[in-house]
Amino acid sequence: MRPESNKIIEEILHYINRFAGADSLSSETDEAFNELALQLFRFQFQWNQPFKKYCQARRKSPLTVTKWQDIPPLPFQAFKELTLSCEPVEEAQAVFMTSGSTNPEKKGRHYHPTFRVWDASMAMPFHRYVMPDQEKMTIYVISPAEDVNQNSSLARYLSMAVQRYGREDSAFFFHKESGLDMEDLATRLKNCQMRDEPLLLMGATFSYVHFLDYCREHNLRFQLPKGSRIFDTGGLKGQSREVTAEELYGGFQEFFHVKRELCINMYGMTELCSQMYDRTIETYLSQGKPVFDKIGPAWIRTQILNSDTLEPLPDGETGIIAHYDLANWNSSLAILTEDIGYKTQHGFVLLGRAKGSESRGCSIAIDQMMQANSKVDERI
Amino acid sequence: MKQTEDEKRAICLYHVPTGIHLESFCERRVDTPHGQYRLQQPQLTEERLKEICQQVLAQRENYLAQLSTDEIVRKIDAAVQLWLDPQYELRQIAEQVLPVITGYNPEMIRLELKKLMRTFRKKELLRFLDEEFDQAGVLDGFRPRKSGGMSRAFGPHLIFHIFSGNVPGLPIWSLIMGLLLKSANVGKSSSSEPLMAALFCQTLAEVDTMLANALAVLPWKGGTLEFEDAVMDQAEAVIVYGSNETVERVRERARSHTQVLSYGHKVSFAMIGREALSTDRFYDTVHRFAEDVSVYDQQSCLSPQSVFVEEGGALSAQQFAQMLGAELQRYQEKRPRAKLTDAESLAIRTVRNQYEFASMNDQQVAVYASKTGTEWTVIYHAQPGFEASPLNRTVHVYACQTVEEGIQHVKRYREYLQSAGLAVGPERLLQIAARLGEAGVNRITAIGQMTRAQAGWHHDGRFNLLDLVRWTDIEGSAENLAELYDPDVE
Repeated sequence: MRPESNKIIEEILHYINRFAGADSLSSETDEAFNELALQLFRFQFQWNQPFKKYCQARRKSPLTVTKWQDIPPLPFQAFKELTLSCEPVEEAQAVFMTSGSTNPEKKGRHYHPTFRVWDASMAMPFHRYVMPDQEKMTIYVISPAEDVNQNSSLARYLSMAVQRYGREDSAFFFHKESGLDMEDLATRLKNCQMRDEPLLLMGATFSYVHFLDYCREHNLRFQLPKGSRIFDTGGLKGQSREVTAEELYGGFQEFFHVKRELCINMYGMTELCSQMYDRTIETYLSQGKPVFDKIGPAWIRTQILNSDTLEPLPDGETGIIAHYDLANWNSSLAILTEDIGYKTQHGFVLLGRAKGSESRGCSIAIDQMMQANSKVDERI
Repeated sequence: MKQTEDEKRAICLYHVPTGIHLESFCERRVDTPHGQYRLQQPQLTEERLKEICQQVLAQRENYLAQLSTDEIVRKIDAAVQLWLDPQYELRQIAEQVLPVITGYNPEMIRLELKKLMRTFRKKELLRFLDEEFDQAGVLDGFRPRKSGGMSRAFGPHLIFHIFSGNVPGLPIWSLIMGLLLKSANVGKSSSSEPLMAALFCQTLAEVDTMLANALAVLPWKGGTLEFEDAVMDQAEAVIVYGSNETVERVRERARSHTQVLSYGHKVSFAMIGREALSTDRFYDTVHRFAEDVSVYDQQSCLSPQSVFVEEGGALSAQQFAQMLGAELQRYQEKRPRAKLTDAESLAIRTVRNQYEFASMNDQQVAVYASKTGTEWTVIYHAQPGFEASPLNRTVHVYACQTVEEGIQHVKRYREYLQSAGLAVGPERLLQIAARLGEAGVNRITAIGQMTRAQAGWHHDGRFNLLDLVRWTDIEGSAENLAELYDPDVE
């Protein structure tokens, strides 16, 4: 790695350690955040050519940008079309890919020359927002972990969680060949009921939907130990079946006996190196009353932008979400998502993905055209 | 005095025959530069809808069916004449309220509404009738056939219209078709433009209450099945505008003998020959095409989403794309585009991003776009292809050596093709039109006129009235036999 990379990594790690106890809303970190963000912007502008081009097309450069809010957020689609890396990609330790659900040919790629920052960014917030009252927990993982998929940031995240915060009896239930072993999971959950120690279930949101279906089908109910909690990520949108959040949390209560206050949704992206969390568990355990809004660590800032002009919006107004993540040192620290949400005094609320925009008119929608196109291809 | 002013400010987003009593309403207030209006819409029940259907059916039988086509045309014309007067109260209301509820630019609405209304004048309606029937008299009585015998055409007793809201005023066209066929009509208006159909019915009521009593226009939430079914049960024909899902749903639920005509989602495009890009012509060409892209923010299925531009003119295809951008900017300053939803803006941003990133490694594409927001976007492709756009003034420009190259790219979307705007010389027009027709295009028009279909056009390639009527024939034998029973026969 080039010396400049090592230097910026040290700076970021220093920041992470220094503000480990703060969060993305802490105003005492504002100045340090701005300073490091601008430093990182200079670094990325110098070494990441496509990012530089993107900024130049918007007349933004280290000369014109004086506060982090002015750094143009790079649309997440860029990870599909461009090679975004300050370090040579051949030397990357790993590359995380997006699922490519819309177009399997075009997967977003995020290159990681080292995991030093990624790991530091993951660990502390996980502990703080998921299990502030525990040092270690028994963790059952129901989605693919690192042994199944080497190119998934979520897989690595789940493996890390178990490695750092899992007790020895933690287990992975998703296997490479056979998928989620529901029978085994059900047996182990049944055995758990006798114990005193709480359990942490972790997995993608839709894995739960499938397992709840299984429980319904086999008439299974579990009385998980007191303090047990459920962690999900990914959300419910974009799946073949419509399930509402109410149905899901209702299912957690009914089938696992885990109440809403101990359920937590993690919001992460392949294109980022940090994660954000529901504040439910953190606030419920400390104040007895849960806050459902989302928050992140002190090295991330979330902006809500007007979807048309990309200008920042005041608290409470709904717009498109952009994240400024200092842990994203090798690609772009500023990422523009396709998620819709609004800010609150406690963090932000994610409303979901703005997809499948319905045209008002009788003009055919792009999606339908693509379907028609693939239909023709099949015929040929 | 105060109360009358207050009454003036209340607008009914519905029309029902006299004698129908609606009890409860919900109200929506809209603020316009000319003050606040209260838009009233009734809360419906299945029973009430059934009652309304019966009422319009009865009114049709007792009155509308007895009128001659000429009389009906005259009455419609009288209503249209009212709308052609800039001082007409309902027109002024429409011009004030439509921009607020649709988001379209007020000036654009004023112009387009006027142009639309002109296509419903008496001479246009007569032309339209003649276009479809050899002699429109077949709607009034039996007329002799060339092959012997006589025939008469009957419209459906009740037509159920399900409108879409993309282009203000289009529902009027559908209602007029129904009246020309002497059918009772029930229209379900769209929540994105619930105004014009109701206002036009109110005008018809001013002209002839009895006529308007054969019509009802009602707003309700799209996909409310019990309401849809209540009307569909009594309708002989359903005309549905909208997405393919809506159309499918209606087809599935319609009774087997109900006639369903549907106007689903379509895509249109343009072709510009090098002869339209000569030094003295190119500006006019760019200007016309920018107008096609801008009118009603591309929400009409007649609006172009892509254009094939032939190289070899005074302007290269890429220069055309750049100039088009400048022209769209001028249009934006004159008539700004509607404010978009987050999803609509993001759809534009996604396409822009995709091609901007592609252009970083590839000179084959370029993106020209409005600076601050998503007001307009031109995506230039150095090779021909075909793509739908996320609309709202977003357009693909494809360079080609001859515009004919574009045909092979569009023909794979055959079932979706609608209009093609052409700017080519006379010697090429018929030849290109023939190939486009073969590919599935059903309307060839001038660029600059793409969003304005002519009266009597074959909407989506079919007849309008002819597809709805049922024929009764008197065969020559019956005619001859009848002669036999003439008491005075030799």
